[in-house]
Amino acid sequence: MATTNHSRRSFLSSLGGGLGGIALAHLLGRSGLLADSPRAELNGGLHHPAKVRRIVQLFMNGGVSQMDTFDYKPELEKRHGEKIDFGLTAAATSTPGAIMKSPFAWKQHGRCGRWVSSVFPHMAEIVDDLAFLMAMASKTNVHGPASYLQNTGFLLPGFPCMGAWISYGLGSVSDDLPTFVVLPDSRGLPYNNAGNFSAGFLPMSHQGTIIKPTAPTPINDLSPPDWAGHITPESETAGLALLEQVNREHQESRSDDLRLESRIDSYELAAKMQLSAPEALDLSQETTATHRDYGLDRPETADFGRNCLTARRMLERGVRFVQIWSGMGGPSKNWDNHSDIPRELPFIAASVDQPIAALVRDLRRRGMLEDTLVIWTTEFGRMPFTQGATGRDHNGGTFVTWLAGAGVKPGIAHGQSDEFSYQAAEGKTECYDLHATVLHLLGIDHERLTWRHNGIDRRLTDVHGHVIRQVLA
Amino acid sequence: MSIVLLFIAATTARGVAAEPAKVRFERDVQPIFSAKCLTCHGAAEKRGGVGLSDREAALAELHSGLYAIVPGKPEESELLRRVASEDPSERMPAKGEPLTAAEVAVVRRWIEQGAEWPPHWAYRLLERPAIPDPANLAYAEWAQTPIDLFILARLEELGLQPSPPADHRTFLRRVTFDLLGLPPTPEEMEAFLADDSPQAHQRAIDRLLASPHFGERWARHWMDVVHYAETHGHDQDRPRPHAWPYRDYLIRSFNEDKPYGRFVEEQVAGDALYPGDPQAIIATGFLATGPWDESSLRDIREDTIDREIARYLDRDDIVHTVMATFNSATVHCARCHDHKFDPIAHEEYYGLQAVFAGTGKGNRPLDADPQVAKRRKALQEKIAALPALRENVDPRLLAPEVQEEIAAWEAKLANAASPWVVLEPETYSAEKGSTLTKQSDGSLLAGGERPETEIYTITASAPIENITGVRLEVLTDPSLPHQGPGRQDNGNLHLNEFTFAVNSSPADLVNPKADFDQQEWTAAMAIDGKPATAWGVYPEVGKPHQAVFELREAIAVEGDATLTFRLEQTHGGGHLIGRPRLSITSAKAPLPLDVNSLPDEIAEVLRTPPRERDNQQRASLAAHYLHEKWTAELASLPPQQLVYCGSNDFQPDGSFRPAAAPRPIHILHRGDVRQPGEEAQPGSLSFIDNFGGAFDLDNPSDEGARRAALARWLSDSRNVLTWRSIVNRLWSYHFGRGLVDTPNDFGRMGATPTHPDLLDWLAVELLESGGSLKHIHRLIVTSAVYQQSSNAECGLRNAELFFSIPHSALRTPHSFDSDNRYLWRMNRTRLDAESIRDAALSVSGMLDRTMGGPSVKQFIQTPGVHVTPNVDYRNFDVDDPANHRRSVYRFIFRTLPDPFMETLDCPDASQLAAKRNESVTALQALAMLNNSFMVRQSERLAERLRNERPELLEQIERLYELVLNRQPTETELSAFAEHAGAYGLANACRVLFNSNAFMFVD
Repeated sequence: MATTNHSRRSFLSSLGGGLGGIALAHLLGRSGLLADSPRAELNGGLHHPAKVRRIVQLFMNGGVSQMDTFDYKPELEKRHGEKIDFGLTAAATSTPGAIMKSPFAWKQHGRCGRWVSSVFPHMAEIVDDLAFLMAMASKTNVHGPASYLQNTGFLLPGFPCMGAWISYGLGSVSDDLPTFVVLPDSRGLPYNNAGNFSAGFLPMSHQGTIIKPTAPTPINDLSPPDWAGHITPESETAGLALLEQVNREHQESRSDDLRLESRIDSYELAAKMQLSAPEALDLSQETTATHRDYGLDRPETADFGRNCLTARRMLERGVRFVQIWSGMGGPSKNWDNHSDIPRELPFIAASVDQPIAALVRDLRRRGMLEDTLVIWTTEFGRMPFTQGATGRDHNGGTFVTWLAGAGVKPGIAHGQSDEFSYQAAEGKTECYDLHATVLHLLGIDHERLTWRHNGIDRRLTDVHGHVIRQVLA
Repeated sequence: MSIVLLFIAATTARGVAAEPAKVRFERDVQPIFSAKCLTCHGAAEKRGGVGLSDREAALAELHSGLYAIVPGKPEESELLRRVASEDPSERMPAKGEPLTAAEVAVVRRWIEQGAEWPPHWAYRLLERPAIPDPANLAYAEWAQTPIDLFILARLEELGLQPSPPADHRTFLRRVTFDLLGLPPTPEEMEAFLADDSPQAHQRAIDRLLASPHFGERWARHWMDVVHYAETHGHDQDRPRPHAWPYRDYLIRSFNEDKPYGRFVEEQVAGDALYPGDPQAIIATGFLATGPWDESSLRDIREDTIDREIARYLDRDDIVHTVMATFNSATVHCARCHDHKFDPIAHEEYYGLQAVFAGTGKGNRPLDADPQVAKRRKALQEKIAALPALRENVDPRLLAPEVQEEIAAWEAKLANAASPWVVLEPETYSAEKGSTLTKQSDGSLLAGGERPETEIYTITASAPIENITGVRLEVLTDPSLPHQGPGRQDNGNLHLNEFTFAVNSSPADLVNPKADFDQQEWTAAMAIDGKPATAWGVYPEVGKPHQAVFELREAIAVEGDATLTFRLEQTHGGGHLIGRPRLSITSAKAPLPLDVNSLPDEIAEVLRTPPRERDNQQRASLAAHYLHEKWTAELASLPPQQLVYCGSNDFQPDGSFRPAAAPRPIHILHRGDVRQPGEEAQPGSLSFIDNFGGAFDLDNPSDEGARRAALARWLSDSRNVLTWRSIVNRLWSYHFGRGLVDTPNDFGRMGATPTHPDLLDWLAVELLESGGSLKHIHRLIVTSAVYQQSSNAECGLRNAELFFSIPHSALRTPHSFDSDNRYLWRMNRTRLDAESIRDAALSVSGMLDRTMGGPSVKQFIQTPGVHVTPNVDYRNFDVDDPANHRRSVYRFIFRTLPDPFMETLDCPDASQLAAKRNESVTALQALAMLNNSFMVRQSERLAERLRNERPELLEQIERLYELVLNRQPTETELSAFAEHAGAYGLANACRVLFNSNAFMFVD
């Protein structure tokens, strides 16, 4: 594990020894001097040629019911209402009920003939673009640890999420927007709140920047507070010039300290970001047709659609990783349908269905799918039996994730669950495999992207992870 | 780096012999093995039979029959041949970069010189090393303390020279931020500059070490190390309103200079070792600093595997925290298998888990006043002893003075007959299937399988003619959980609605009153007509309670009238009444609450005339009387405070309760709870030379005793890691980097000490000073190495004058120690997030120096949809007084941290952060420029300047004195005056807050 990559990183880090190693790396990284910065001959990869340069992850918070969306199970219809002993005395929050068939209509779609339930009519139209992981599994049936697991590879808080690792591994594509952007559900943050977007023990600069496109200040501190009347465009220009002047004078007798230079630069970048971020968030530049495609014209899809369209604009402008969330924490307004699948699921499904399909089509139309990866996922699945009358409890045994875009074989499915969609049966994959695959597509060997913390060379994939070759193009 | 240095040292520069330097294993060879070899050839995995974790393994015969290392014979050493090989197919390491030529040469010379392999530096005996002899040092006059001689000896060995002292301004700014986390005031600076006595530095240091702000600063460092925060950190990120006493304990301990051994013991087992000391109980907040998975540990069903996994991970957090904090040991690496690099066995890790097998995190009640604690304990013991006294008809109960007291009490009792008449239930039913059994005292005892909800309907006839009120007593019974009075697992009940009818016509109940109301669950809620609200009694379970209700209008009843009571308990979760009893009264309002209704047996005794009572009866009565008396006395003590800590004595939280005894802990194959192996016994590690980790426990089922044994093991003077670890932490915070650069990892994969002798010398010094951390702080900040200039160029220029040596003879260290590992200059440090915030407040004049107390929320908190509240930093009133407290008093929210502080590298509070990362980003620049807190402080500072100085130029001078502790240059003065003139003083203040000169300390 003591690879080139790692030792160079340690070297750079020790050069500043916690006293500017990072700032130095930052500077060197930007001027292309960092040995393990993305390598042109590897198409921007670190260890092998990269297929993907940027990623958008759609995270359905709460646990999407797989057998009511993408995992068609005729057996459930046959045995609807039967009590089947799964050897389970207790689900996470309830006692197992009887088998419940999916209350929705199912049809095969696309050339690939993928089964999709009626809750996703739009995604059904793009199945030929998607590669499904039909037997994803989680180690836990509890939201908090499960969300941490899918995001960071660990059940506990405090570990870096995938976006942070990618930011650490590859850095930014552009200087004037954050590298890793998070667009939460407009109603609120998911389970674990910002814990899901944490940089953990990595430098804080790698954590997700939360953007709320409709908030008065979409990015924290992008502009001065409204009440600060003394700050005007003129004072700002003069102030930044004065700041640079005093910083340059200060630095003159301290020229060996690269952190000082780095901070001077950071104000230049900040000024650029102040201009480019509002431009990136300005959806009025998009056509009415685009607005309609993403569902911005209808209240039920407008929020999620806005985030999808914003994500596309961010990716276009050089953001490396965008994570879009559907669903907030708490007992409702998310995918955690404990009490009433027939009523709750179609509602939340409709809010994302059209926008997601529009995003994939839009990326394709613009040629961006050539180097963009789209990931659709959730923290776990749900049970084949009822909770209460028509709800379903948590089930880490099996759930569905799909990938689309660069480096991914379209129109296929890998793995399958058992006849009830209770457990992964064949081609079981876990978050480690998904993460390893994503890093692989970025040109990164998941075993070689490490950070020494409290005695362990930590990885996104812990001690696990196999690239899922079956879905690679 | 050290290899390169070694060669330069060996071949050039003054003061170093021309002979090849002696290779030192751990300084020169160990780092190569750690980086290139140990992954495959460590303690656990010895590929090809090659083990490089210790000398014995390294000299052993290989599978191939060859030897990796033959001391003194490099040509026979297979290891050397393989690392030097030109053939990639046989060259080691098999994966990754080959060794450099210099590295190969070091290994070769080490083998030539006999392959000496001392025990690992961190585990070996601690002895006071000899201080280098100044007579052998060229720059000895530079040294102020023994520390300096250690540093100097190494510098000279490398052909380097130290830097001259920093100027006085720089020094005071440096040491004040370092010790207090605040800038010096202009007045402090002036006084210091005016003091030209040789003791000036010493006096300033003494003043700072005595400041109460010292404890605040160093507690904040400790809070990083132990991942302190005040919420649970998972999806149910519940605030912990009682976590802060631990933070105050830290501040107090650092200020009082609590002996370090005692400080260690208190945090791990203060409750068990020093039960009379409330501070020692608060100290165990340490065990509960980390995250807690409420969903898995409390909400989901107890019989799930997820609950089991969560318990295991929670114990892992405690074990990891304890061992990383005090011993810089990475025990968590032995969770799935033996530690790959360090001598920590898989079993030993589970021995540590067993130490905490009964430890839970929760709110523990305690008395802040030791006198009250003593009194409470005495009363509790006396009460606990009563049943036995009574059983044995102990003469103490029959003593004349006790009997006299009883006689007086009896007389009073006779005059205060209860106005309540207990009803005899005639019919009684439970709709959801509970059984109700009538008791001799008129109560009904509920039993049978406990339903989720229940409704009791009870009828009785009226023994009196005029009814003015009704009373519901909920009584205890041994058959109920926690003795009741409820049937919920925690002893609680919820009475959602309570109705009373006379001959089927409902009576209007008013003025509800209970002897105890659960917070937000009052007796009034039992008659409010809202099914969602109810009366509850938690946490006052295990004792009877009662609620009384007046009738809006008194009702006159005939002899055959039927009274009907309906007790709706529809909250769910089995919150049912275990033993209800109903009474009515004709007394006038306000109705009395009878808190002391007498048990049947005592009532019986009282009916017997005193002279006719036998001793058994007298003893029973005395026991009852004393019980009541002492219970009342207990109740009159000042209320207890709560502290969120780790122990087996805490208030239950739903289904999360203190374990009756430590749970059995099994050694888990691959760390998998589904693969339990043998049961582990509580114990610690055996990796320290001559110091075992076995415990000798008299009573292994005593949870506290297990922790006490570990605490004593940690604080033992033979536990060399404890003492090495802490002096390294102190060094690390003073210099920005430890003598060991991995403060939480002293194992073989951790960093090697740059100055092993100095580390040991400091550790011994700490031990022999009785564990005084302030002694170590003082030694460090009075040293020449701490006081030297941080400026590389300036240092070199001045060194010419200071040491009177020609510039040409000076070695420029840039080329080979540019990161200053050997401290030829002081490190320049960037202020951390808290210091930036506190300094801004200090100079703006807004800093509130109040110490201690509950944490201040620098955000708007509103209820969330579930447990986790909504937290809004952006719209928080920037002028709220909470914003003016020091940052150490901020309420720290795990999953919703303050974005401003995060941008400035405040670590994720779910991880142990032995040292902080330091980043520079555009978002950080934006935060410093635009965050409302910073903008407002620049406005406040401008106001202050205008108040203190009439003229603009004076204001700018004052601005510089306050923010940078110096006068502006002429250029600066005119530039800032011009800016302030054009755009206002607040803009000028804002620019200076953003300057590198403010953000960095030279």
